[in-house]
Amino acid sequence: MRETIIQTDVLVIGGGMAGCFAAVKARAAGRDVVLVDKGWVSKTGETPYAGDTTVFNPDWGHDLDAWLTQVHTVGEYLDDPRWTAIVFGEAYERFLDLKAFGVEFLEEGCEPVRLAHPLTQLEMPDAHKFPPLVSQVVHWLPGWPAKLRKAVLRSGATIVDRFVVTELLVQDGRVTGAAGFDVDGREPRVIRAGAVVMSAGGGGFKAIGYPTHGLTADGHVMAYRAGAQVTGKEFLSPHHTNPEAPGWPPIYPVFASGHSAAFPGAWHDPEMVNAEGDEVPVRGMAWHGWIDAEWEAHEGRAPVRAAGPPDGQVRPLSGPGGQGSMLGHAAGGIVPVDDTCATHVPGLYAAGDSCGTCFVGAAYSGFGFATMHAAVTGARAGLGAAEYAQGADRAAPDAAAEAAAVERALAPLRRAGGFGPRWTTQVLQNTLAPYFVLYVKQDERLRAALSTVEFLRDHVVPKLYARDDHELRLAHETASMVANAEMKLRASLFRTESRGTHFREDFPHRDDAWLAWVRLKDEGGAMTPFAEPIPEEFHPDPALPYEQRYPMRLPGEEA
Amino acid sequence: MTGGREVSRVAIERIDAETCTGCGSCVDSCCMDVIRMDDEGGLAMIRYPEDCILCHFCALDCPVDAITVTPEKTGPLPLSWG
Repeated sequence: MRETIIQTDVLVIGGGMAGCFAAVKARAAGRDVVLVDKGWVSKTGETPYAGDTTVFNPDWGHDLDAWLTQVHTVGEYLDDPRWTAIVFGEAYERFLDLKAFGVEFLEEGCEPVRLAHPLTQLEMPDAHKFPPLVSQVVHWLPGWPAKLRKAVLRSGATIVDRFVVTELLVQDGRVTGAAGFDVDGREPRVIRAGAVVMSAGGGGFKAIGYPTHGLTADGHVMAYRAGAQVTGKEFLSPHHTNPEAPGWPPIYPVFASGHSAAFPGAWHDPEMVNAEGDEVPVRGMAWHGWIDAEWEAHEGRAPVRAAGPPDGQVRPLSGPGGQGSMLGHAAGGIVPVDDTCATHVPGLYAAGDSCGTCFVGAAYSGFGFATMHAAVTGARAGLGAAEYAQGADRAAPDAAAEAAAVERALAPLRRAGGFGPRWTTQVLQNTLAPYFVLYVKQDERLRAALSTVEFLRDHVVPKLYARDDHELRLAHETASMVANAEMKLRASLFRTESRGTHFREDFPHRDDAWLAWVRLKDEGGAMTPFAEPIPEEFHPDPALPYEQRYPMRLPGEEA
Repeated sequence: MTGGREVSRVAIERIDAETCTGCGSCVDSCCMDVIRMDDEGGLAMIRYPEDCILCHFCALDCPVDAITVTPEKTGPLPLSWG
């Protein structure tokens, strides 16, 4: 089978908020753009579930210092304030872009949406009290994702839907395109590009519940294999699941018809009661009862009940299985090396949840942050890639390398048997979902899970087989999830402290020797974690007592 | 296979072959590639029901309400505790 070859200046992989912005901005810079997605551009990844975005605007009375202080403290000093300032600083421009795309909003900078963040209830010295206004959340009207797609088409970019990218092409140390296949026809394709924007979202493990199922860390893994570094893998975006009704209809019906804000079976702001009838204290990642429900289960006081979807009745909740192991929004991803979202691999840019700007740090601190982060980094990556593509001295294509990449893409179809991707995914879920692996972490348990994941990596993934084009996609997704599991476990083992959404039972407190980002890089084929120290100017005041530096309590730290 | 295959065990249960117009919007809506067009009948069909993740988008998008999604019929859940 001969591969179809597409040529373009800028290839964008992943068509959610970040990818659509990247495509529009790269086109506006005069470059040819191809935007591919394994699903349908605009109805893909986490984007269609978003109900709002954050807009920072001093003219609406917002105080940048107050916002930065909040993100810094909630993120437990692992945010990168340089990126936080960029995202807030450009949010209003991207908001205007969205309006120009035709997206309609419920409220526009009129009455601020005041959110009662639990942190505002805490007793803290005046200097560390949080502003009552956590973020200016702007709700969009139903149907907005379709407006993103139309904006991409209007820009003149080419959209290729239902195309699965399986690997980045690297030649002479530069990313020169990608290879993959079309799910409807198995037609293998090579896309040669002057630059590539990776905007394929974060990664979970396909458990029912919080809707991240199409997100299998494909972008993180492809970039890592191409030589990029990945950060923030030890953190979680915890959303609990209602095990009695994990797939109940969207809980915000006002948005449902427009593909917005549908969180089947997921809770926000639960007031939880344990099996003994006692109220569960909310200490940690307060919005989601993070770590508190998990700790009750650990102590033998499950089921934990809370009022939740679909009807507000009190039901037992459980941890979100593999789902909550999704990468925390904007907490991590492919490491950018500058403010154009360039990565360690020349020619490769990253945006949205694929991009590890660390703009929220160790815990997510404001509604609507991820969508605006996606818009801002998408725009920057699109412009960065456009500039790189314009100046790139393109080498003659390496046809043999392209053919080998296509062969790897189709390899599971060539195998008569082996291991099925669905079964392998189940093994992975069963390995990672128990609360005592990625929620209440501990050295020996992490190593035990890692041992299973290493076996999957070495023995099962090379023998994945697919009976048709649909299973071929599943096989590649499964391989990505196995690699993502290894990333999460290695990063979790490496950070020997607790911070944000990373809780270690054997290191249950923050340790300011760990004011560092954990990064992963490939060293001679071995996934290797290392600590990247955070600049001292961003450290908390060491003179402050621990309780004031870290106002959120962890188990064992009850006030 | 014909359009509108009925799959009673899982959440995406039915696409009504009498109602479906073959517009294909549900195929576009499904991020998991559960629904395909039937080459012979020209209607949408539930091709890979075991991969449905209950997002409801196919039913929400269907202009003629031909799709039944029953969320109680989800598969086994990998729960964090139970």
